Amino acid sequence: MSELLHFCEHRLQEVSLVFMGLVYVTRILWFLHFKAGKERQGQTGAPSTTPAKGILYSWAIIAMPWAMESTRTKPLLYAQFVVFHLGVAAAITLSFIIPYAPGLLENRLLVWAIQGITAAACAVGLIRMARRAGSRYMRAISSPDDYFSLALLIVWLFFAVLAAPNQTSPEWRLLAFFILTAFFLVYVPFSKISHYLYYPFTRYYFGKSMGYRGVYPLQRSVKSH
Amino acid sequence: MSSKNHRSHNAQEVLSRLGKKLSRQIAGSMVACVHCGMCTNSCHYVLANPGDPTYAPAYKADRIRKLFKRHYDWTGRVFPWWVKAGSVFSDEDLEELKDTVFGKCTNCRRCSVNCPMGVDLATFNRMARGLLVSVGIMPEGVAVVSKDQWEIGNQMGVLKEDYLDTLDWMSEELQAELDDPAVAIPVDKPDCEIVYSINPREVKYDPRTISDAAKIFYFAGENWTMPSEGWDMTNFGLFSGDDDLGGAVARRLFEKVSELRGKKLVISECGHGYRSTRCEGPNWAKFDVPFEMESSIITMLRYLKEGRIHVDKTRNSEPVTFHDSCNNARSCGMFEEPRELLRLVTTDFREMYPNRAENFCCTGGGGAMSMSEYTPRRLKSAVVKANQLKATGAKVVVTSCHNCVDGLNDLIRHYKLDMRVTQLVNLVANALVVPARVAVPAGGPPEIPGEAVEAFAAERPVLADRTIVVADDEPDQVTLLATIFEDHGATVYRAYSGDEALEAARSRKPDLLTLDLAMPGRPAAEVFEMLRKDAGLVDLKICVRSERPELRQTIYEQAVRPPEGYLDKPVDEQSLLRSVRKILELAH
Ligand code: SF4
Ligand code: SF4
Repeated sequence: MSELLHFCEHRLQEVSLVFMGLVYVTRILWFLHFKAGKERQGQTGAPSTTPAKGILYSWAIIAMPWAMESTRTKPLLYAQFVVFHLGVAAAITLSFIIPYAPGLLENRLLVWAIQGITAAACAVGLIRMARRAGSRYMRAISSPDDYFSLALLIVWLFFAVLAAPNQTSPEWRLLAFFILTAFFLVYVPFSKISHYLYYPFTRYYFGKSMGYRGVYPLQRSVKSH
Repeated sequence: MSSKNHRSHNAQEVLSRLGKKLSRQIAGSMVACVHCGMCTNSCHYVLANPGDPTYAPAYKADRIRKLFKRHYDWTGRVFPWWVKAGSVFSDEDLEELKDTVFGKCTNCRRCSVNCPMGVDLATFNRMARGLLVSVGIMPEGVAVVSKDQWEIGNQMGVLKEDYLDTLDWMSEELQAELDDPAVAIPVDKPDCEIVYSINPREVKYDPRTISDAAKIFYFAGENWTMPSEGWDMTNFGLFSGDDDLGGAVARRLFEKVSELRGKKLVISECGHGYRSTRCEGPNWAKFDVPFEMESSIITMLRYLKEGRIHVDKTRNSEPVTFHDSCNNARSCGMFEEPRELLRLVTTDFREMYPNRAENFCCTGGGGAMSMSEYTPRRLKSAVVKANQLKATGAKVVVTSCHNCVDGLNDLIRHYKLDMRVTQLVNLVANALVVPARVAVPAGGPPEIPGEAVEAFAAERPVLADRTIVVADDEPDQVTLLATIFEDHGATVYRAYSGDEALEAARSRKPDLLTLDLAMPGRPAAEVFEMLRKDAGLVDLKICVRSERPELRQTIYEQAVRPPEGYLDKPVDEQSLLRSVRKILELAH
């Protein structure tokens, strides 16, 4: 392993991670400086609905494609969402396995599994890009950051596929993967990719309010005949 | 024209107030959108305008979000173009924003419950409305209604004497209907179990809902009252986004109930009224309410369950469907109670699809009925609701919201659906089984047979000696009204244009003129003004009629005495006669 690769796998990642962590902490403090609304009224809705249940339901809703009409009626999009996020999670895991537990990658099955899921996620990324650029509705709501973040993820997932076997010859596959990972760590807090940071908060407050008002868990449509 | 260095005073105000309005919930909705587009098809505007992305919820949200990004978010401050951050500089920019937040969204919250990230557009759209209202930029109708609610105390500008008069009139009707002088609508009675609050629309256009509620309270043996002031449970602050108005209106009602030492505030069937009084009012008013609050739906259901009232559901045998008001359902969690009640008082209930939390807006929500400039857009988007209604095959659509009643009536007329709209209170009252009266003891007054009553009534037609001019360009309408009036003893003259109406009024000196607001030729507002300014017609009573509620505004805006009454089109004989008798101040 060259010094450059060692640097990219270790020092560069560590510095980037610390940077990301600091930015995230600042970001959360910034978010929390906004005042939280207060509900003075009594609860409404069925007695079985509570703010606590609302919060749990709200957090879990992403894993319940049947709960919202938007995910229920678009199973393909939902499947893409799952594959894409599993691929990203696998690539993130890989970025820790390679420097800190490379022995794990001697297991061929694990390598294939990581390659399979990151490749699938990369393909989904391409489909998502086509949808973003091809649909009039998606174009209208997309910013340069949306395109750039997605493009970056597609390339990163592609290199994750190549980096998974952890082969140092040639080295460029690992170098590219780790340089991109470091760039991500620095870029993510400023881009829309940081949505996962906000997800627990946004869903917490929405779930609390909807639970308090008896709207969560959502009452789905019922057909009478 | 403002340049990027010169921001108009209003634009500056909007931006500085934005900072004060940002709560954690709103900031979360601002930062969390990933532009995934999952919410796009949740919106009825999108479905009715295929191919137009400017109606997409995320697109509309970004008109507001760009301000947050530009002025409060890191990346947007440094690289605005990268995240499509932007600002407002001129009043034209604000007008553009107004078009989106008032004219392209009814705050129905359907997209909010369909967003995987928990972005609540409806809430921050309301916030944006409030920001614009704070600098005086809003649709004309919003300004008029808000002013009425600030100054007169209710959103339809109903004067106290008219309100009390209507309650008296409804009491008299009930006494006549039930042949019981003890039936009355109590006003300002202290220490009651229930203080009943209503929507001013009920006073102005639909007093039957008041008498139906009174009938139900009467048969339930309820100890209840209505307040003489602070009786309006609606709150235009919900629609205008003006929390100060919201707080003032809610406080007025809460304080009145406290003053009367009422144990429970019952809110008549109205989605926006229920939400703003029950779910938002205490927060806007910063008032810890010391009494219970309940929707009249729950009250009626309870009476039935407790056996305090009895119903015969076969009296409501037409096929009915139910429209969930967005405010009741998606903002206050009321889903099953109205259905339970419906099943108890009707024989053929069918769900429309989708329903409950997934129902589509009636398209009259968010104050849309008061924004006449957006009517064509609203009616176009209503095709979604129209298709939903049509698919049920029902003849009656029931809804627990006065806004929805207006919105649905409008779209039913527009899409020519064979349906009518009603509320649960009307169905419950219609199905009420009136307990048999105790027999009159021997020696008591002899019972008058029904035929004799009818014969007596026939001898004294209710409109005898009255002269009425019916003005409408539709001959069928003229014939319908004229026949009803003539059958009840009036002398009727027909007019088919504004000029003919003027001529007939001047030559015949009628007691009443019914004026259609959509006749060709001279505008109805001008005819109305000329009639009012005619010194020879000072005693003339005018009742305006229209199937387009937005036309009313043109009449009420005139700087002359307002019309004595207003009638929707079409109108049934009973309501027509009731309104006309009221206008002519007949005693029975
Ligand atoms: S569904 Fe939510 S995150 Fe996706 S575009 Fe709509 S508002 Fe944004
Ligand atoms: S709140 Fe309702 S009307 Fe407004 S964008 Fe969302 S779905 Fe459309």
